[in-house]
Amino acid sequence: MPRRQDLRKVLIIGSGPIVIGQACEFDYSGTQACKALMAEGLEVILVNSNPATIMTDPEIATRVYVEPLRVEFLEKILEKEKPDAVIPTLGGQTALNLALELHSKGILQRHGTRLLGATPEVIKAAEDRELFRDILDEIGAKYPASHLVRTYEQGLKVAEELGYPLILRPNYTLGGGGGGIAFSPEGYQQMLVQALHESPTTEVLVEASILGWKEFELEVMRDGAGTFVVVCSIENLDPCGVHTGDSITVAPQQTLSDREYQAMRDEACKIIEKVGIQTGGANVQFAVHPATGERVVIEMNPRVSRSSALASKATGFPIAKIAALLAIGYRLEEIRNDITKTTPSCYEPALDYVVTKIPRFAFEKFAGARDMLTTQMKSVGEVMGIGRTLQESLMKALASLEQSPQGIPEVAFATDKLSYPNSQRILHLFQAFRDGKSVAEVESLTSITPWFLEQIEAIVKFERTLRDEFPRHPERVLRDAKRRGFTDARIAAVTGGDERDILDLREKYRLFPKYQQVDTCAGEFESATPYFYSSYWPERSVALDFSHPVVVIGSGPNRIGQGIEFDYSCVRGVKAFRRAGKKVAMVNSNPETVSTDYDTSDVLFFEPLTAESLHEILRFTQAEGFVAQLGGQTPINIAPKLVQQGHRLLGSSLEAIDLAEDRGLFSKICRELDFHIPNSAMAGSLEEALESEKNVGYPMICRPSYVLGGRRMEVIESHEELLSYFQRHGDYITMDRPCLMDQFLAGALEVDVDLVRGADWCVVGGIVEHIEAAGVHSGDSMGVLPPQRLKDETCRRMEAMSIRLAERLGIIGHLNLQLAVKDDIIYILEANPRSSRSVPFIVKAAGIPLVDLGVSAMLGRSRDEVKPERYDWRRGDTVSVKGVVFPFKKFPEADSILGPEMKSTGESMGRGADYSDALMKAFLSSHMALPQKGEIFLSLRDKDKEPLLPLLKELSGMGYSFSATAGTAGFLEKKGLACLPLRKVHEGRPHCVDRIRSGEVSFVINTTTGRRSIEASFNIRRACTDYSIPCVTESDAAEAFILALKNVRRGSIAVNPLPPMEAP
Amino acid sequence: MNAWLVLETGEVYSGLWHSGKDRAGEVVFNTSHSGYEEIATDPSYFGQIVCLTAPMMGNYGVDQNVWESRRLWIEGFICLQVQDSDRDRSWIKRLDEDGIPLVSCLDTRGLVLRLRSGGTPWGALVQAETEAEAREKAAPLIAAKKTIDKDWVAAVSRREVEVRPGRRADGPRLAVLDFGSKENILRELENHASELRLYPSRASARDILASQPDGIMLTNGPGDPADVRVATETVRELIGKKPIFGICMGHQILGLALGGKTYKMKFGHRGSNHPIKDDLLGRIYMTSQNHGYAVDRATLPEDVRVTHVNLNDQTVAGIYSEKRRCLGIQYHPESCPGPHDARDLFRFFTEKMT
Repeated sequence: MPRRQDLRKVLIIGSGPIVIGQACEFDYSGTQACKALMAEGLEVILVNSNPATIMTDPEIATRVYVEPLRVEFLEKILEKEKPDAVIPTLGGQTALNLALELHSKGILQRHGTRLLGATPEVIKAAEDRELFRDILDEIGAKYPASHLVRTYEQGLKVAEELGYPLILRPNYTLGGGGGGIAFSPEGYQQMLVQALHESPTTEVLVEASILGWKEFELEVMRDGAGTFVVVCSIENLDPCGVHTGDSITVAPQQTLSDREYQAMRDEACKIIEKVGIQTGGANVQFAVHPATGERVVIEMNPRVSRSSALASKATGFPIAKIAALLAIGYRLEEIRNDITKTTPSCYEPALDYVVTKIPRFAFEKFAGARDMLTTQMKSVGEVMGIGRTLQESLMKALASLEQSPQGIPEVAFATDKLSYPNSQRILHLFQAFRDGKSVAEVESLTSITPWFLEQIEAIVKFERTLRDEFPRHPERVLRDAKRRGFTDARIAAVTGGDERDILDLREKYRLFPKYQQVDTCAGEFESATPYFYSSYWPERSVALDFSHPVVVIGSGPNRIGQGIEFDYSCVRGVKAFRRAGKKVAMVNSNPETVSTDYDTSDVLFFEPLTAESLHEILRFTQAEGFVAQLGGQTPINIAPKLVQQGHRLLGSSLEAIDLAEDRGLFSKICRELDFHIPNSAMAGSLEEALESEKNVGYPMICRPSYVLGGRRMEVIESHEELLSYFQRHGDYITMDRPCLMDQFLAGALEVDVDLVRGADWCVVGGIVEHIEAAGVHSGDSMGVLPPQRLKDETCRRMEAMSIRLAERLGIIGHLNLQLAVKDDIIYILEANPRSSRSVPFIVKAAGIPLVDLGVSAMLGRSRDEVKPERYDWRRGDTVSVKGVVFPFKKFPEADSILGPEMKSTGESMGRGADYSDALMKAFLSSHMALPQKGEIFLSLRDKDKEPLLPLLKELSGMGYSFSATAGTAGFLEKKGLACLPLRKVHEGRPHCVDRIRSGEVSFVINTTTGRRSIEASFNIRRACTDYSIPCVTESDAAEAFILALKNVRRGSIAVNPLPPMEAP
Repeated sequence: MNAWLVLETGEVYSGLWHSGKDRAGEVVFNTSHSGYEEIATDPSYFGQIVCLTAPMMGNYGVDQNVWESRRLWIEGFICLQVQDSDRDRSWIKRLDEDGIPLVSCLDTRGLVLRLRSGGTPWGALVQAETEAEAREKAAPLIAAKKTIDKDWVAAVSRREVEVRPGRRADGPRLAVLDFGSKENILRELENHASELRLYPSRASARDILASQPDGIMLTNGPGDPADVRVATETVRELIGKKPIFGICMGHQILGLALGGKTYKMKFGHRGSNHPIKDDLLGRIYMTSQNHGYAVDRATLPEDVRVTHVNLNDQTVAGIYSEKRRCLGIQYHPESCPGPHDARDLFRFFTEKMT
């Protein structure tokens, strides 16, 4: 059936800011769908509050709304655009829940708009666990014994019946949010309260444990005629008990017989039919008992998902694109297979390789957070490795994590690191076999299927072969090692040599990886799409139809500090190079991204971002050069080695990069230019630090050199704290990698400046003024463009300084600067010779195609060609505020106070006619409630009390009431503001935290400094995190929050699409 | 000792030898992810060396319950990696017991691309120190293999008539002409029939009709249908007299008996993921396939409709004549290995046709 003729305009709902459990895979899906629907001649309206996405680039859709994903804003967009239909299946749980709300409030019906891809009934059937179980009963599928619990009391009864351990799964939450495994009544009771609270419907499924069962997932598609295909089967290495997003997973499944697999496939098909999915993609998760083979259904999702993105990358089957085309009426057999270009899309991909996904975690970012994995997802990113065998693919994925060039470094083995799932378990699995444990022993500790353990054991056994036989048979042993996925670095470590020697040997024996095609069909059909992976098994590589491409190095797995923003730069950059007539090769290891979509670049290499793998790609493609400034810090760190090996770096030279990154050189340049920089010193040891203590002065910021996202960066206020800092982080500080000590400019206003420089031109993309004062990491600080507090004159001075600095450094392409202003003096804090986290926000806020300009610079275009005067970031008439989102909820032991270490996972954008409007939208988009009445709990440090007084009076005038602990309460009373005094925690119960936890408080302003008082007020912030109560920890943020509150009360809601962006 | 695959066209691939003796066969590939034991015991693979494209075989061990016939029929087995641990090396042992060569660590993708572009040649799996020695050993094995009787169906078919009870007392009584039947065809039929009577491939039409069956099943089987002359004549006599359902070889022989022609495909269809458009049941679904020959659409008589088409390459996947009450299906509705999506065709045959 050709596509439906009654559809002219569709609205696609995105997934909003990146959070744990909902990351850039939805940018990948949404972008793909938008492109497909645009190509069909439909008008595509997109709404997403996340500016760092490719999908919100103006040319991806007909009109793009960067607006909060909330019903009231969606309604405005519906009113304005009057789309024929809404597609809710591409924006994760956020979009599904929003669609359901739009339906239940009658808004869709009122605007004559229907849902495509999933009806409200389908969404409910899959998400409402009770309804879903009824469906499973009808088709005779089994599920774990469980009860739906709506109250605490009922929960207690259910626990008695089912026995421990118990799994809690709240309804309608994302990434297992609010859920977990309870091993004892005590833990259970605590978790139950939380879980009931997290579920928007106050419903929690309490389930008998299936811990240790094998876990599988099928990614399926169905078209309007009922044709059903399994795109990919996925098997988890980690058995049940670890959220599938936190599990190491493998595709296709490896340990089921054909009979078992086909029975699972049949059941998935029945579930899809019965749930009523008309068209689109879905996934079904199963658990299989390791001994009896009994199979139960865990859950199903009627939408594209993280695993469907993985399945698309693993197989070459573009699930989201096809889901979009099916939604508008096409049938699978009418859609061509994009990869082969000859066969249709109704087929099940056949794989002649194995794919392994490994999550990447960020526990180290959250002091106190326990590194333990449960049913609540905690990973912030993932990598995928493709190899001809499981071993090769697993080892490539481990190398892709960018945690150790060796991939499987030796660790100090600890039994509890095996028996309690954690982020480092895979390394301990390897170590267990090195230390002589048997497969059976490890199986009994982990319940991991022996088949997987044998594969790991075999790799470890080979390490011994490598050590023993390498001297006698270097060529054979080296080949066997490479076929098992060993990196040169690991081979060198095992054989006691140098990585460089291993590469020399490989060159001597002509032992290079061969590039193979991901072709969807295991070689059965000729295939036209260059989507490549490397392997040491094949005898020859596929031919590339062109040579000398530009190689763009991606940003690898998402992590805190390096995420989707860099994928935005890469994708935008690839497009700009292609427009300039260049052939572009993209290299990345992150399956969630748009950059790893096979049609983004001319050729895609799905490979680890290591010097070894990139060197091979550059050699194989005979690249014209490589681009290191778009993918964040990862490519910048690899660039020196690649240049050393004779490859050409495009844009800023290594020398320019070094001038910007080397603190000593950089300070020298700033002094030479007469720019102020904070006092600073470097210390390779505590002794050196104490010598510089006086010169730098307190407060100061300490951090180890070459860090990303401010890890281990702290504000040090006193001598004692400096001692403590070195005690805690001494391991990361050496003479080669010294600790950087910088004067801390308390109270200074910070900004980000992003610019692009060509040989004889420069374009400043914009200045983002941070809302929080100095001390909060720039990635965690809210920001506004244009600046609201800086004088125009100061802005102009900043621009001039930035341009002079770019010239002096010799930047070609991107430069990101962080500046601060205090007492009218501008300080230069930091220079990043690359595209930055703030670039996509600036591009959207100022409408300047900064990444395209960066490419023009790298291509050597002149001022006359670029015409830089066309771009003026001051020109727009909207105010844009960057909001941030944090994952504190997922880390129950973590503090939500902001500091110099970055903790946020994502950002949002609020665009408005004025500052308060933009602020309101940014807060709403960051999932912050803006309560319009109620009690405000205050816990303020002394220096903030007086300055905040006018604001508090205003709040009082708006009808809010106050509560506070004794000190603050007394202060307010004295100033004539009524305030309910509350006990501090150590003063006995009921105390202030009890009041917050009992739901009496609407929001909290809690400003504090110093390690001790921060610790003392931890429970206040934690209570807010647990109960989603807004908690502002900076006085500047409090001002902004109150501005936003006022705007909400104004009650005006306006939505506006992004203006078109001028092409470079 | 090194393992070698030598193709009669001259290409040589090296690998690691695990089991069995040097043997020759037609070299084909199969893209199924699982089902190695079903494939090895499927009589349609008689005379063939099978290369599985999925990276590892033997992963989940062996299980005689999934056998598709009484023995293994393949001449050789090639894969990239094979399960070989202290806990489980049963698949290697299984092949070794039957003297079937198993070779791993061979560039299977390179081989598949060669088969895809150049067709499926004869080849031999041999053990040798050097490539030259391998060529020497392979040549006579291949030559000998080419001299065996070309009616492979007769070689694998049962020798005696066998009667099996069905599970449906009110179901039809069916005659099955065994061309090398997979067990699951019989299991599926047993679910719908009251009795199955299985005949050797060279049974006469008279013998078959003598038992007055309600319908006749022509099973799958190995080789070139054009070489199966006796059975083709038999089927020609049976057409029109009783409803007939042919699968794979059975379908091809039906095609020939109806006056059509078959041809050798370049490299055939072998796998579990082939899309079929089924106009008879009005669905599109995934199927299990294993065939190197196909029926030529242009040669079929007018009253025979092409009701099933392979959507990958538009080849004939099924034919139906209402007038002559016969149905031919090129793929494997009995699955094993592969999806169960086409299972309803057995119901169609037993409920609508007989």
